[in-house]
Amino acid sequence: MAASRPAAAPPPEKRRNWGALLIRNILLAIVPVWLVWSLLTPIYNRVLLTSAKNLLHLTESPNVTDLPRRDEHFAYVQRLDFPPAKSLVHSFRVTDLHFHFVLLGALFLAVPGIPWRERLSNFGMASLITVFFDIFLLFFYVKFVYATQLGDWSLTHYGAFARNFWGLGKHLLDLPFKLSLPLILWAGFYLRRLLRPDVS
Amino acid sequence: MARNRETPASKPSSSPEEPFWRRNRREITFLVVFLILLGGGFTLISVNWVNDHAIDPFTAGIARVSGAVLGLLGQKVTMNGTVIANSRFAVNIRNGCNGVEAMLIFLAAVLAFPAPWRSRLTGLGLGIVVIQIVNLIRVVALFLTGVYFPKLFDTSHTVIWQTIVILSGVLLWIYWANRYAHPPRETAA
Repeated sequence: MAASRPAAAPPPEKRRNWGALLIRNILLAIVPVWLVWSLLTPIYNRVLLTSAKNLLHLTESPNVTDLPRRDEHFAYVQRLDFPPAKSLVHSFRVTDLHFHFVLLGALFLAVPGIPWRERLSNFGMASLITVFFDIFLLFFYVKFVYATQLGDWSLTHYGAFARNFWGLGKHLLDLPFKLSLPLILWAGFYLRRLLRPDVS
Repeated sequence: MARNRETPASKPSSSPEEPFWRRNRREITFLVVFLILLGGGFTLISVNWVNDHAIDPFTAGIARVSGAVLGLLGQKVTMNGTVIANSRFAVNIRNGCNGVEAMLIFLAAVLAFPAPWRSRLTGLGLGIVVIQIVNLIRVVALFLTGVYFPKLFDTSHTVIWQTIVILSGVLLWIYWANRYAHPPRETAA
């Protein structure tokens, strides 16, 4: 077995230049990415609502949940087994669930020193993971509404453990993991470049 | 976006025959430690006692400072706990608006990154101050948005300012990791 030896580390100047380029590119990319995200938001909201509804139906028998849209940004949680006048049990802003796409796009498109094909391919994979995360987040959000937001009905149908499970799950997914998902995914693809910019 | 010069990639120092986890040891360690610290930190602040004895007083402090800045800008505001109000608008600063989330994400990223403790502590000190300054600007700007452009408040509240605060934390972390962290050199067998 060969003895351990230090590998050639990049000169500090190269590391600094790579980091400075990355920061500059992120700042340049953030507004165009935000504009594209704004344009795609109404379509993505529909995809998200339909997918989450289908996922919720896998846990229901009969299917009692609907997620009708109120406008381009807002939607309702509707329970079809409630009296019609009380079936819209909660209103929420769907757009708030996925604005992390802006940071994701800026981070992935800003990486310096790699071909555009690789950059877009990595962004595509990260976007796919983010879409699944968003569907899962909306699923947890609706369960959180059922378990904790419907007063006596919640207390009757969900025990203390279930209320804490859906409440903490929604809290963790909606704040730390939603906000840090772009950084987590970026680190998965590119952390080694931050550690050693000369490594592919 | 500006075009970047493509640089030829050199060979990685680790052999492709090595198992995945060994080749990507540093990345996996970073992600695991980051997720544990992040999950632990956010679970901690969701405990009622911690929220009541640490987060709420901290948030009330942010409300006082923001109210003072708004006073300097000519807004006649009153503060009550975490609520800032004037005759036209009122905001209640709650979890998600106090900068604690961005601070915890930054803290987890700095602590998970391979770096000397001295660099980590320096980064944490500077980062927390900068994130709180950005958050102070957010609270003040949001209050003024609520007073003068109430229709823009919802979008501004979540999408724009939440992104700016998290972005500032991410950029600070990249800057710190790139300039001050100096990760130890990789050794090859």
